[in-house]
Amino acid sequence: MYNDGNGVTPTLRAWGLTKTFGVGDVMTTALRDVSIELYPGQLSLLMGPSGSGKSTLLAALSGLLRPDSGRVLCLDHDIWSMSEKQREHFRLKHCGFIFQGYNLFPALTARQQLEMVLRWSGISGWREARQRTDAILDLLGLAKKANLRPNQLSGGEKQRVAIGRALIKEPSFCFADEPTAALDWKHGEQVIELLRAAAHDGGATILVVAHDSRLIPHVDRVFHLEDGVLVEGIERPLSLVAGDTAVAAEY
Amino acid sequence: MSYSLATLWYERQRYLPGVLAVGFSCLLIALQCGLLLGLFSITSIPIDESRADIWIGHPEVPSVDLGRPIPESWMSLLSQPEVETIEPFMEGFGYWVKPNGGMELVLIIGSRLGPGAIGPVRQLSAQHRMLLSEEMSVVVDEGEFSRLGITKIGDYAEVIGRRVRVVGTVRGLKSLAGPYLFCSVETGKALLRPPPDQVTFILGKCTNKADAQKVVDRLQAYPQKISAFTADGFSLRSRLHWLLKTKAGIALGLAAALGLLVGAVVTYQTLYAATAASLKEYAVLRALGIPRWRMALTVLAQSFWVGLFGICLAVPFILILASLGNDAGAKVLLPWWLWTGAISVTMTTALVSGLLALRSLRLVEPATLLR
Ligand SMILES: Nc1ncnc2c1ncn2[C@@H]1O[C@H](COP(=O)(O)OP(=O)(O)OP(=O)(O)O)[C@@H](O)[C@H]1O
Ligand SMILES: [Mg+2]
Repeated sequence: MYNDGNGVTPTLRAWGLTKTFGVGDVMTTALRDVSIELYPGQLSLLMGPSGSGKSTLLAALSGLLRPDSGRVLCLDHDIWSMSEKQREHFRLKHCGFIFQGYNLFPALTARQQLEMVLRWSGISGWREARQRTDAILDLLGLAKKANLRPNQLSGGEKQRVAIGRALIKEPSFCFADEPTAALDWKHGEQVIELLRAAAHDGGATILVVAHDSRLIPHVDRVFHLEDGVLVEGIERPLSLVAGDTAVAAEY
Repeated sequence: MSYSLATLWYERQRYLPGVLAVGFSCLLIALQCGLLLGLFSITSIPIDESRADIWIGHPEVPSVDLGRPIPESWMSLLSQPEVETIEPFMEGFGYWVKPNGGMELVLIIGSRLGPGAIGPVRQLSAQHRMLLSEEMSVVVDEGEFSRLGITKIGDYAEVIGRRVRVVGTVRGLKSLAGPYLFCSVETGKALLRPPPDQVTFILGKCTNKADAQKVVDRLQAYPQKISAFTADGFSLRSRLHWLLKTKAGIALGLAAALGLLVGAVVTYQTLYAATAASLKEYAVLRALGIPRWRMALTVLAQSFWVGLFGICLAVPFILILASLGNDAGAKVLLPWWLWTGAISVTMTTALVSGLLALRSLRLVEPATLLR
């Protein structure tokens, strides 16, 4: 099997991903023959100029947008050869998402926003959903804010609720599109640390799209996308700084 | 369910138009039907307020006020073991000439008056019955004085060429086409002048009311062409006749349908807009793999709550307006089945609006969140 040289199998492998939008003069190529491998327990950062195709790549890898060609294997499932229903079920079991903007229901409290995901996905019953929700709110430092609605929360707090919603299912994958864009540096750092903890402690495979190069020291790997072409960055990742020898051996 | 209720409460401004529209539809249906029921229940007063269980009239008699003469000898047809009392009954329209000139259509109701009589309406007291036993005396509703052009008990007027005297008044028996004149069978015959030995109806009372239907079925099977009804059956037949004949049912149906349509459209708009406002949130849930039917259920639950709140809002207004109407002399009847009907029709409208509003969920597309 494929691995990183240390016996770790990638949880997500994609190759030959191509995606174009429009036809003729207005045709844009968002992805050109992109291949990528992501490993469990790692936080990867995807950077690139605006319009370079980052969101498109995220959507193709996570089963939200079908690429024109190429394959994506998540946990050895070829997600673009599944039926719509199967893919939906796969996302239900394995994927968490954080999108730009908080996208929280205005009428619901922080706790309800998270609980809803567990109850509606049929993952857990009422009581268990409440316990897991309170546990994760505690972890996110939102224990005191559990009963507040989005308009009573700060931007950073809202983003943390959104992160909680993405992570509450304890997914194998978490895809985040510019989760820090609307936050100041202090809160942006907080968010990326939370995601890093989810990867390192929870063993999740996490891919984050962001512009801010100050985030680079906080992540394990960095990818650059330019005009639809992906290259892995050579920036010194945090894991090296932190002395994580297992991964450091790779560099 | 709880999420949709929380949403409804938190964004009550947004849902209010839907709730009001549903409430308005419910109010419209209940009051209109109640008014109509009240209106046409007036037609069957002589049946509903008497003690008779069985009514026999000429073949195919459409309504209690449209009887034609039948042989009085048909009384013998009713001589059956279950029947304890048999009486003749006179009824027919006549012209009332007001003392100061002018005419008015009146409905003459002549019944037996003795202590055990089954024909008279229960509003006639023993005193009334005693006074009515004198020929050419009548009792009218106290509210009909101006219509009849009289001012007090004891006044005289002319009916179909005969002088009659008003000997008393009753309450709550105002009529639709023309004022009721309650009198004895003899007075009724004197005024209506049927062919000899003919009356308009023959009434029967069973020892056990439950036997009425059995006796009626037996009478219907007789070779003579007669029409026999239970009191309830004839009452319904009389009301339905006027309801259909006057086309009031159609007018009512149209008005109610219009009310429902307005309610449905506003509710649909409300729910559609509310769902459309949450498209991004729903899209996140879709990305997380939560099936679409969960969201559909939420929209339907919202429509249910909108319906329920609308109905709850409407009920007190229906009661208030109905009692105001009754005070103003318009009879509004609200039997339990009318409540059930109005509420279920309204609720169905709300739910159908919810079903239609599900269309907005088609716009939920998680890929649009990634830009
Ligand atoms: N639905 C679409 N229809 C047409 N063109 C699209 C569509 N989605 C994306 N594109 C185009 O594909 C290219 C890549 O878009 P994408 O959203 O992936 O960029 P991005 O790297 O996420 O940019 P940003 O950093 O600004 O979010 C852009 O040129 C965009 O105009
Ligand atoms: Mg983007």
